[in-house]
Amino acid sequence: MRLISGFIERHFLQVASWPALLIMLGVTAIPFGITIGLAFTNYDLVRSDQWRFVGLDNFLELAADRQTPIIIINTIYLVVATTVIPTVLGLGLAVLMERSIRGIGIIRTLYLVPIMTAPIVVALTWRAMFNNDAGWINYFLSIVGLPTPVWLGDPILAMPVVIIADSWTSIPFQSILLLAALLAVPSELKEAAAVDGASRSRIFWHITLPWIRPVLFVVVVLRFMDAFRKFEGIQQLTRGGPGLASTPINLQIYTTGLNYDRIGYAAAWGIVMVAMIAGSLALVYLVRRRQS
Amino acid sequence: MNHHRRRLSIISGLLLMVGLIFVIVPYLWILLTAFKRPVDAAAVPPKIFSPISFRAWEELLSGPFPASLVNSVIITVGTTVATLIIGVPAGYAFARGRFVGRWFLGGWLLFSRMMPPVIFIIPLFLFFHQLRLINTYLGLILAYMSGLLPFTVWMCAGYFEDVPQEIEEAARVDGASRMRAFVTVVLPMALPGVLTVGVLIAIASWSEYFIPFLLAGTGTNPATVGLVNYVGSNTIDWGAMAAASLTLVLPVVVLTLFAQRGMLRGLSAGAVKG
Repeated sequence: MRLISGFIERHFLQVASWPALLIMLGVTAIPFGITIGLAFTNYDLVRSDQWRFVGLDNFLELAADRQTPIIIINTIYLVVATTVIPTVLGLGLAVLMERSIRGIGIIRTLYLVPIMTAPIVVALTWRAMFNNDAGWINYFLSIVGLPTPVWLGDPILAMPVVIIADSWTSIPFQSILLLAALLAVPSELKEAAAVDGASRSRIFWHITLPWIRPVLFVVVVLRFMDAFRKFEGIQQLTRGGPGLASTPINLQIYTTGLNYDRIGYAAAWGIVMVAMIAGSLALVYLVRRRQS
Repeated sequence: MNHHRRRLSIISGLLLMVGLIFVIVPYLWILLTAFKRPVDAAAVPPKIFSPISFRAWEELLSGPFPASLVNSVIITVGTTVATLIIGVPAGYAFARGRFVGRWFLGGWLLFSRMMPPVIFIIPLFLFFHQLRLINTYLGLILAYMSGLLPFTVWMCAGYFEDVPQEIEEAARVDGASRMRAFVTVVLPMALPGVLTVGVLIAIASWSEYFIPFLLAGTGTNPATVGLVNYVGSNTIDWGAMAAASLTLVLPVVVLTLFAQRGMLRGLSAGAVKG
């Protein structure tokens, strides 16, 4: 007993960290290593005892697959739209919420609630809202005399539906993060500029925006990474369709791996996804380093 | 000037209200639909207001949904407790200094924040089959940790960095062991932050769908997966789906209202410090 407590005393940080290290190793690091390995096999859930290494076959098939460009384009479309739109509108919302008007506390709290709502509830509720016949959206459109499209069944509209439903949580999310940054801008700076006769918009562009730029950068990067992992917001809203119209890489990995049982091929898609994320993040950081 | 300012604040007030309508309408749909008769819930064109009925709730209570709610509670409590017990000391170690594996832990924290869960889930699915962890609470909690543990370590490290090292050293000069100094001096000072992390972990595990969708099964399915049972590919039971959604959303809304101050800080700390 004495021996144990002496060991803990001498290696306290080690002892405090190793359970977390062990679990991280077991549930992320080793699985990731296995994903890399699987990408070079023809592992299949149905014939799991007959797998063998197939070299680059999965990647060659992926490169030749006619679905590949569609899925890559969908991924870029989704990630760019669900990063840019919520960040720009979220910044606008944050500017509105920064003003100290009556009841602003309760307004800020209300905007916090969608962020905390389970994504599966968000997806199913928007599916109901966009429903053709019984949905509220087409009902209101018909009342004001606008066309009532088949939102979820239209190859052009499916992705915008996913983006609108996503915006419902991600605009508040971005704005709450940016609001914290806006409130941290020293008010003396803005007041001094106002005394010198600078207009509101000049103050925003030349003082506020440069001040919050580091936070804005982090917020964009976080949003970008989250955009790749979007799952239930697509699987339960449009099911990736019609056809492949709203299938990004994340859903494709799930479909090939667990619906079609082709684990090896899905893992190859996984590698492509990791490369896309890591590559674009590296690019962003390089550009940023060059600028500063 | 004054006139101009007044007009500006009216416009921004109006814009905030329009945004709030966009936020509130889906909740309104859930609330109204959960208390409709089945005919009204599926009416074409939709009936926004209709007589109150508890049919959807009767259906929900007589089905498998209550059992899945119990599963949600078990998984949420289990994940929150386990993640805090393992993640908080690691956050402390990370904030305080050198240990073998620090580089690895730091790197993996960042990497697993970057990578979507689908990358880890497929091998976990295969592992868990071998280890018979599919459809068990333990397996689910371990899988939930793949995303939540890095978050916890990262956030807690930030909170522990704010605790001055001198206070801890004073306790140790007085003869306290490191363990004692951590539990009785450092932890209480970082407690508000740690509790916020706990609330955020609880909400995240309560809301998780992707992991249990793949790794749970009858007997362990949480309410997020149970909810989807009311949404078939052809027929959708709108009333029961809305009632089930309401049960999922309500605890989180209440928690958000109570813990909003800490949550605002918790959410933004991730961005400002990250």
